[in-house]
Amino acid sequence: MNTNRLFLLIFSLYLSFSNAALAQNSYLAGGLPSVNFNYKLKKAWSVNFKLESRQLLKAGVFTDNSDINYEYVLTDYSFITAKKIGLNSKISGGYLIRFRNGEVIHRLIQQYTITQKLSRFRLSHRLVTDQTISPVEATEYRLRYRLASEIPLNGESVDPQECYLKISNEYLNSLKNRDYDLEVRLVPMFGYIINEHHKIELGLDYRVKSFLDQNTRHSFWTCLNWYIEI
Amino acid sequence: MLKPIITGIVFGILAICSIPLNAQEKYEKESRLKAKDVPSEALGFISSLEVPGKMRWYFEEGIERNSVEAKFKYNNEKYSIEFDTLGNLEDIEIKIKWKHLQKTLKDSITAQLLEDCKKFKIQKVQIQYSGDRSILLSKIKTGESTGNYIVRYEIVVKCSKARDVALFEYLFSHTGQQLSVSKIIFKNSSNLEY
Repeated sequence: MNTNRLFLLIFSLYLSFSNAALAQNSYLAGGLPSVNFNYKLKKAWSVNFKLESRQLLKAGVFTDNSDINYEYVLTDYSFITAKKIGLNSKISGGYLIRFRNGEVIHRLIQQYTITQKLSRFRLSHRLVTDQTISPVEATEYRLRYRLASEIPLNGESVDPQECYLKISNEYLNSLKNRDYDLEVRLVPMFGYIINEHHKIELGLDYRVKSFLDQNTRHSFWTCLNWYIEI
Repeated sequence: MLKPIITGIVFGILAICSIPLNAQEKYEKESRLKAKDVPSEALGFISSLEVPGKMRWYFEEGIERNSVEAKFKYNNEKYSIEFDTLGNLEDIEIKIKWKHLQKTLKDSITAQLLEDCKKFKIQKVQIQYSGDRSILLSKIKTGESTGNYIVRYEIVVKCSKARDVALFEYLFSHTGQQLSVSKIIFKNSSNLEY
């Protein structure tokens, strides 16, 4: 698939979901900064440690004013170990701990990724299963697929001191208490490689869920991602 | 109110701790070049080819030397022409199919790859011409040889060894003798994985 087609596909997906936003649907908006530490080990192993925090700035339904100014929501700490199993593929497993309103939530993560280098951009497929265990709610089982592309803004690959666009689209199937839900995420990001150890990305993480049962919730998170290679 | 402050402090401490102590960096970079910044010698060579389609120029910064590269399609083939920074022609590479190589050449290359790899898969083959500028120009335009030039083959191979699999770039002579080999290092992809 060429870059133009990919843009068209993502743009049409965006339009189809943005139409739904005009109805009496609820929304959340805020910030989602994260820091990612990556460390390569011997024999094709690597580890990732991620710290992500969520802050709510606005919430409500689209036709009313927001009654929230600022609210700290949660912090996630995740630790994932990965092993390269092919030229472009990795399997990983990890654990996430979430602190939210005094509750501690645990999540187990299993992941498979393939990253392809195409002639003008990179494409990554990610398949994740995770199980979220909470002290007050039933365990949630999810199956996620994400397609992410990294498009250089200068040359055929992204080098240090160059910018890129990263566009990802993810589908999250969730099962909790025998209730099924589908969440779709569209994340356009603008990135910059400072040097071989540091990358910065700024963009929007748009999520829509519960649209299957007419109770749609839209979330708009401003993301600031910092990737650090140690 | 305490939690965001603690989170902020943790972010800060981790970021400071992550500053690498052994900041030895590999310097290899390619970037787009505007036609007006291309050396006139190089522009002259390309314009005499009269390429009908789109032309892309790149500047490549390596550890030892820099170069200028033109990439385009010509007669339905993918071309990549490399010049030095003064615009002198270095080589012409044309993407070809493995099955179009002569059998004796394929046998010789295969023998070398079987020696190096437990299992291999050829991903890309390019025929590489170097030599006199006017001889190469007429070779490309008319297909006829008006003098001597050097023919080599650049081959990208996925090579599986006992414990590892990696991509290698081989350079073979016209008879299939290995001239050089280098491992292709992938760019870090953590931002596409997590």
